[in-house]
Amino acid sequence: MSKKRVIILNTAILFGFFAILLRLSFLMIIDHRLLSDKARSQQVKAEEIQVRRGNIYDRKGREFAVNMELESLYCDAKEVRIDKDGIKKLSTALGMEPRAIQAKFQPEKRFTWVNRKLEPETARKVKDLIGTDRRISAPGIKGFGLVPEAKRFYPKGELASHIIGTVGLDNQPLEGIELRYDKYLRTSGGKIYYSRDASGKMLSSGVDMEAKGNDILLTIDEGLQYIMEKELDRAMAKWRAVAATAIMMDPSTGEILAMANKPSYNLNEIGKAHKSEVRNRAITDIYEPGSTFKIIVGTAAIEEKAFNLSSIFDCSRGTIEVGGKLIHDAHRHGLLTFREVIQKSSNVGSVMIGMKLGRDKIYSYAKRFGYGEPTGIDLPGEVSGWIRKPEKWSATSLGAVPIGQEVAVTPLQVLRAYSAIANGGYLVQPHVVSEIRTHDGQPLFSFRQENKKRVISENTAQVFKDILKTVVEEGGTATGASVDGNQVAGKTGTAQLIDQRTKRYSKDRFISSFVGFVPADSPKLAMIVVVYEPKGQIYGGVVAGPVFRSIADQSLSYLNIPRDDSSQKNLLLVSK
Amino acid sequence: MFRIDRRLIQNFDWITFATIICIALIGIMSIFSATRSPAESVQSPLFMKQVIWLFIGLAGLAVVMSFDYIWLSRISIPLFTMGVILLVIVLFAGKTGMGAQRWLSLGPVVFQPSEFFKLIFIIMVAHYLAYLRGPIDMSMMLRLFFVFVFFPFILLFKQPDLGTAVVIMVIFFSMLLSRGLHRRVIVLLVLLGIVSLPFVGNIMWTGLKDYQKNRLIAFLDPEADPSGIGYHINQSKVAIGSGEFLGKGFLKGTQGPFRFLPERHTEFIFSVFAEEWGFVGSAFLMSLYLLLIMRGLDTARKAKDEFGRMLALGITFMFCVYFFVNVGMTLGIMPVVGIPLPFMSYGGTALLSNFISAGVLINIRTRRFTLFY
Repeated sequence: MSKKRVIILNTAILFGFFAILLRLSFLMIIDHRLLSDKARSQQVKAEEIQVRRGNIYDRKGREFAVNMELESLYCDAKEVRIDKDGIKKLSTALGMEPRAIQAKFQPEKRFTWVNRKLEPETARKVKDLIGTDRRISAPGIKGFGLVPEAKRFYPKGELASHIIGTVGLDNQPLEGIELRYDKYLRTSGGKIYYSRDASGKMLSSGVDMEAKGNDILLTIDEGLQYIMEKELDRAMAKWRAVAATAIMMDPSTGEILAMANKPSYNLNEIGKAHKSEVRNRAITDIYEPGSTFKIIVGTAAIEEKAFNLSSIFDCSRGTIEVGGKLIHDAHRHGLLTFREVIQKSSNVGSVMIGMKLGRDKIYSYAKRFGYGEPTGIDLPGEVSGWIRKPEKWSATSLGAVPIGQEVAVTPLQVLRAYSAIANGGYLVQPHVVSEIRTHDGQPLFSFRQENKKRVISENTAQVFKDILKTVVEEGGTATGASVDGNQVAGKTGTAQLIDQRTKRYSKDRFISSFVGFVPADSPKLAMIVVVYEPKGQIYGGVVAGPVFRSIADQSLSYLNIPRDDSSQKNLLLVSK
Repeated sequence: MFRIDRRLIQNFDWITFATIICIALIGIMSIFSATRSPAESVQSPLFMKQVIWLFIGLAGLAVVMSFDYIWLSRISIPLFTMGVILLVIVLFAGKTGMGAQRWLSLGPVVFQPSEFFKLIFIIMVAHYLAYLRGPIDMSMMLRLFFVFVFFPFILLFKQPDLGTAVVIMVIFFSMLLSRGLHRRVIVLLVLLGIVSLPFVGNIMWTGLKDYQKNRLIAFLDPEADPSGIGYHINQSKVAIGSGEFLGKGFLKGTQGPFRFLPERHTEFIFSVFAEEWGFVGSAFLMSLYLLLIMRGLDTARKAKDEFGRMLALGITFMFCVYFFVNVGMTLGIMPVVGIPLPFMSYGGTALLSNFISAGVLINIRTRRFTLFY
């Protein structure tokens, strides 16, 4: 072999090796990231897994939402072997049309639900039919299987339904806490990642196929909630009302202790619920507050020193003209002091105060008390209500806004404003969730009152507390709301509904409300009761006041709050 | 014949021997890793079979070493005749596996005659070329082609074992070229090749099986259908690329055991190795092959006669073609043809035939001094 040929040969082979090395370095050093990612993405598969939602408890740990293990029937269309008789048997067991079962056999799908979350009795019957293993099953039926699924169960049924909310068949959140705190109840994602081989077979084992969500502790007290709902039901029946709402809150912390709306629905039967029953009126419905709104002009007048408590208002005519429109009092009063204007809920007197303050002051105080904005409660669907800006007020507005017309509020907004008077002048953050815990009990989140904001001075709050006490005393509008043994402070409200047809105030459709707190001097509970369209009686003091009293009475004894007069009673006993 | 000469041991080509042992051990290691099953704890016994074949290969090597390679020249014609007959038998009585009729059973042993035929073919061509004097002209070349290449090529093509068929063709022309062709013949060959390419290409194309066509399409455009025909190439590139610079480490590779890589212990064994040992390991393996090939060329240069030279060249070319086509395929720079990586891929017949071929190489080098004989 000549030398030339040897050189050519060697060069050719070396060139070949060089090309291979070049290609190797291209793949392994330059392109490696892309190719490594490719390897990972085909070897790692993310799979949605069932998530056991966290439980929901009341403030004392009583269960409001838990999970129940139910079995669901599926079929593997590739393996389904079933004769006519089998379908017939299966359809009787499931209570399904035979045709509906046959429709589930989609030949291209390996997994199809036939019927989900079967009642235990049904599941037992189905199990007898299909056997325990989908491969070895009864003759005539093949290719079916049962898998356990967690079904949400609400042991308290209708109780607190508007707070708890509910979930759909796939545990998708629909309402209430279930919706608002879904990402905590569900934990993050509900996905697991596992490595798989080319045929899709799962390789990593020992992975927990079920993620556990976090538990939620509410500020709600089941006992108080029960008292409230029972009394609202009674009021609904008594006054043949369209609806009723009540909220109870700790005025100093903003903890919602109970919140109820009637009509309501059973959480376990969401399918049967009417839309109007699902609505959480306490935060989603706006209404004209009427007289309960008079604290705006009242507190503004004292805070701004526009009047003092003994200022005299001449209400003897029973009317006052604003912008060409006459504002009436419900009863003719004569001369009233400032205190009496609020106590007797005189429209004329309130408008007089409003006129002295002017629209800007009224607007700014309404805003200060949180009207026209959502309270930020941790429940879905809250609306802001509205109050017109002063520059948009009409000529008659100054005669309407001070007495709670031409404004729209939610019951929760009113309750929060009154709580400010109860707690010495602070606007609190209403909330229903006090704590979130992981499934093994580690605290994840605790509510902390941070944006407690002073809106009126302590003195004004004290003065107004005293005035509100007189409302339920002899001579006030809500003697029906007075609670045995404990002093109540509060205010009535009676607002006309606007007739949708005539666009005028309706003559027979009203909203009666009472908002207040008890015991007046060291308030433990603040509560609002709103009755929509009561029949027979309309006045807040007559309709809503007694409901307030019944709830407050039972709640105070439930909470073991000592009566204001208990020491005196003891004295009497001793002296005898 | 089994007389052990002191000089035989002294002159033994330890370098070639050590290189192939080294590659074979790396191969067994990679087969072990590639056939791991992550789901089950049972290890596939394939690697153990390869170990046994390694010992059979060593025995074969020892046998080939024991006599002077000149003997091969003497028995080349009966050997070649027997080889062709075996190929014919395979075509009619062979066992079918993986879509091709390549195997022949001899009692309990199943083997692939085409694996041995390559070596027989090289011996035959080397034997003939050693007799010729001066550059080969056109008529001589055509005669050689028809006598030695044409029928085996058709027989192999029919099996189908396209890989081996093409390889013997390439070895044949490489041997002719290094033996020395008339310049006119070279020019003519090149021209003929260019002119007939579309024509031959067309015949070849229609003669190809569907999977062979797919492999060619996939080579030209691997992304055309990543889950279908381009799958082999893509998965191999993914495996090699994810090895990165230092590799994932022994038994840490995933592409093979997770079955993403097809033919992971045979044709794509290099991808499995590269994934675990990275660029560094791959470069080391490349240098082992380079050493083997360069040593083979050196052996050819130092051979004491023309037969030895042609034989050494033919065997070295064989290793060379197999290596480049296989590694090129795993890297996506050559079409997918079912060619194993010498000394590494799983396969008993191939390992034995490779060891025997290497044995011949070592034989030529060990007996390179005329004095010796």
